[in-house]
Amino acid sequence: MSADCRLAMDVPSDVGFARVLTAAAEALALRGGFGRRESLRFQLTVEEFFGCLTETVDASQAIRVVLTGKKHLLRAAFDFEAASLSLGGLNVVAAAPACAASEPAGDLGLLLAGKAADRFHIEHRGERRFGLEAEVDKAYPPGAAVQAPAAYPAPFTARAGSDAGQLAYAAALAAAAYPAWHCPGSFQTPGKFADMIEDGQVRCVVATDAAGQPAGLLSWTPCSDRGLYFSGPFVFAPGQDGAAVARVLVEAFLSLVGREKYEIVLSLRATPDAPDGYFESLGELKLCREDACRPQQVLFRHLREDAGLAVWRHPDLEAFLLDAYDRLAMFRNFLNAPSPTSRPRRESLLGANLDRKRDLGELRTLLDGEDLVDNLRRHVAALRQRGLGNIFYYMDLSQEWEAALAGDLTAAGFTPSVVLPHGGRGDLVVWQHVPAA
Amino acid sequence: MSRLLDRVPAYVREFESYVPSRPDPVLMRQYGVTGLHRLNNNENALGPPPLAQEAIAAFDPHRAAIYPPGDAYDLRAALAAKFGKSPDQFLVGNGSCEVISSVVRAFCQPGDAVVTADKTFAVYEWVARFSGVEPVLVPLRDQAIDAGGMLAAVTARTKVVFICNPNNPTGTWWNRQTLETFLAGLAGRAVVVLDEAYREYVTDPDFPDGLEVLTRHPHVLVFRTFSKMYGLAGLRVGYLCGSQEAVDIVRRTHIAYSVNALGQIAATAALADDAGHIAATRGMVAQARSFLRDLFDGLGLEYVAGEGNFLMARTPVSDTLLYRRLMREGVMIRTMTGFRFPNWIRVSLVEEPAMAAFAAALKKVLDKP
Ligand SMILES: Cc1ncc(COP(=O)(O)O)c(C=O)c1O
Repeated sequence: MSADCRLAMDVPSDVGFARVLTAAAEALALRGGFGRRESLRFQLTVEEFFGCLTETVDASQAIRVVLTGKKHLLRAAFDFEAASLSLGGLNVVAAAPACAASEPAGDLGLLLAGKAADRFHIEHRGERRFGLEAEVDKAYPPGAAVQAPAAYPAPFTARAGSDAGQLAYAAALAAAAYPAWHCPGSFQTPGKFADMIEDGQVRCVVATDAAGQPAGLLSWTPCSDRGLYFSGPFVFAPGQDGAAVARVLVEAFLSLVGREKYEIVLSLRATPDAPDGYFESLGELKLCREDACRPQQVLFRHLREDAGLAVWRHPDLEAFLLDAYDRLAMFRNFLNAPSPTSRPRRESLLGANLDRKRDLGELRTLLDGEDLVDNLRRHVAALRQRGLGNIFYYMDLSQEWEAALAGDLTAAGFTPSVVLPHGGRGDLVVWQHVPAA
Repeated sequence: MSRLLDRVPAYVREFESYVPSRPDPVLMRQYGVTGLHRLNNNENALGPPPLAQEAIAAFDPHRAAIYPPGDAYDLRAALAAKFGKSPDQFLVGNGSCEVISSVVRAFCQPGDAVVTADKTFAVYEWVARFSGVEPVLVPLRDQAIDAGGMLAAVTARTKVVFICNPNNPTGTWWNRQTLETFLAGLAGRAVVVLDEAYREYVTDPDFPDGLEVLTRHPHVLVFRTFSKMYGLAGLRVGYLCGSQEAVDIVRRTHIAYSVNALGQIAATAALADDAGHIAATRGMVAQARSFLRDLFDGLGLEYVAGEGNFLMARTPVSDTLLYRRLMREGVMIRTMTGFRFPNWIRVSLVEEPAMAAFAAALKKVLDKP
C-alpha cells in the first residue's frame, strides 16, 4: 500500500490543461516501471476522459483528478460536479458530439473515451457530484508452465498467504488445473497475483501439505462495504486429500474474516470443490464466452446472524422475492414500490462497469428519467456490439425508487436472477439481460 | 469535500460497530413465531436469586429520580465483606464489559498492544482495536488458551493480557498450576486480566480462585459479573477486583455513576443469599449438558462441552443458515463464525423444556428423525 504513488490535482475544466495530465500520467507510468504500451494507453485514457468531462463540467469549476500508480495498475479518478443540463451526457453510450471531435460522428461518448482502459466505471456521489474511475493494468509475462508436485503428503494446513514466490506458484497451479472462468484474471500472470496480494486489495489463504508444498488456494477481495467476493477453493491434491484441502482452505478463510466488518461472503465463480455445508446456493447465472454458455452457481454465506431488513418490492418482483427469501429462510419486511407515475427528469443516467477481460458489463441506474427503457436498450446494444455478452443489472432493494424500476427492466429485456442478501446497501437483486431468441 | 469520516482516527474509521440482536418481539415478528427460546446469550433461565427478586419488586419508583451511589458504595462493601477484601479493591461497572474498556484506557495508549486468544470473548479485541491498541491474537491449542503461546506473544509493547477463565466459547480452563506457571513466566511484564464471568459454574477444586491469586500477584485484575450466574444481565452490573494500587489506577479512567440504582440494589441482595440459587443453577446446567451430549452423540455431531453454562457443537450446514432455520422454529442460538469457529454454534444450558424444544427444532431443520 505504501508503495503506491499518488498525484492529486484540481484542474480547471479547460481542455487546454489536458497536456498537464498526460505528462503526469506518463511520469507515473515511467516511475512505476510500466511498459510503453501501458503508458500510452493510460495517457490516452486520461486525455480522452478529461476532454469529455470538460464538456460536461462548467468552465468555472475544477475537476479533481487523482492519478494513482500501484504495482499492478494505473488508475485515473475524476471527481466533478456536472452542469445540470448535461447529466444525460454522462451515460457511457450518450451521443456527445463534443466528446468526439476527432472521431466519426454518432459515436458513443465515454464508452469511446474509455476504449484504451481495461475497465472503468462512473458513480453518483450526491446531487450533481460524480466520480469516474478508469484503470489500465500492467502487462505481466504469462505464467511459465509449472510442474505440479508428484505427491501431496497429508496433513494439510492453511494460513494467510504472503510469500510472493509461493503465491505465484500456487496461482500458476490453479490456472493450470481450473477453467479460466473460475480463476481471477491475475492467475494467468502469477506475478501480478503476488503483487495484488502485496498491495492488500486481494487477500488469500494457501494450503500446504506436510512437505510445505502448496496444495490449495482461495482468494478474496471486498465487493462492497459489507461483502467479500471469493474465488476458489482451488485444490491441487487429488481425491479424498483434495476434499481435506478444500475444507482447511474454507475454514481458514472464514476464520480470518469472521470477526471483520464484513457481513457476507459470496462468489459468482466458486469452484465445484467448495465443501458441502459451508455455503448456501443463491441460484444460478448463465455465463457466456464467445458462444459457449454454462450455468454458474452463486454461493453465499452470512458471517453473522441475519438481523432482518426492510426491502422495497415492486409488484412484478413479488413472486420472485417471496420464493428467494423463503428458500433462504430469511425474513424481510416488504414495502411496496409501485412503478413511478412520473419521472423526475427527461434523461436518465446509468452507471456502467465494463470489464473487457471477462466480457462483462454491469449496469445500475444512477438517475431515473423518462427515457430509462430506451437508455437501457441503448446500453445493452452498445455493450453487445463490443463483445460484452454478460450483462448484469444491480438493483438495491433498500432504495424505493430503484426497486420501483422493475417494470422498466423487464421491458428492456432483463430477468431477475438472484438476490444477494446484503450485497449492496441492502439486499441486491442481480438481473441478467437475456437476448431475444 | 472533507467528509466527517476523514477526520476520524484510522483505527475508528476501520472499525465496524457491533450490531446486537433485535429485541425479541421484533425477531418473533420477523420469523413468524409466537415464542422464542433464548439460548444465545448464556443467560440464567432461573432468573436472579430470591432476595434479588424481592429487592427488585420492592424498588420504589420514586427512587428512580435519585442518583445512585456514584461508586456503588454499598455493593462494594458487600463484595468486600463476602470475599474478605477492602471495598477499595473493587470497581463496579455497567456490566464487566465496561471495566474492560476502563482497563484498556488506563494502561494502554495508541500503538501499544494487548495479548489475548484468537477464539475467545470478542470484547477485549474490539476495545483494543477501536482504541488504537493492537490486539495480538494467540491461537488456541486443543481448544484451550495456550499459556506458552500467550507468554511468547508478550513484547515490550504489551500492556495487558486477557485470559478468559473458563474460556467462552470453548469452556476450557487453566488450572492452578497452569496459571501459576504462566504468571511466573510473565514476571509482571504486563497487567493480567482474569475474566471469571463463568467461574461460579465451576466446581472443580483445581480451578484457581482469581481473588486469592491477586493477593500474591499485584498486577492481576479479576473480572466478574452479575449477568451470568446471578441472573441480572438486564440490569448490567459487573466488577473488577485487584490490588489497591491497580484499582486506583483503573478508577481514574472509569466513569462514575455508570451503574444504575436498581442494579446496585439487586446485586447487593443477590450476594446475600446465593448458595441455594447457585446449587439450583448448577443442577439445571449439569442436566442440560448431559441432555445435549446425548443429543449430539445421537446425531453424530462433534461438540466441546467444558465448564460454563454453554456448549459448542459443529454443524453440518453453515451456522448462520442454521440460525435462521432454528429461528423459524422459535429457537435462538449463537453462531460461532464471529468467534472464528465457522460452522459451530454455541447453545446456552437452560431448563428442560427449552432444551427439548431446541432438540426437536434441530432434528427438524437438519431433517433427522
Ligand atoms: C467472558 C465474558 N466476559 C464478560 C461478559 C460480559 O458480561 P457483562 O454482562 O457483565 O458485561 C461476558 C458475556 O457474555 C462473557 O462471556
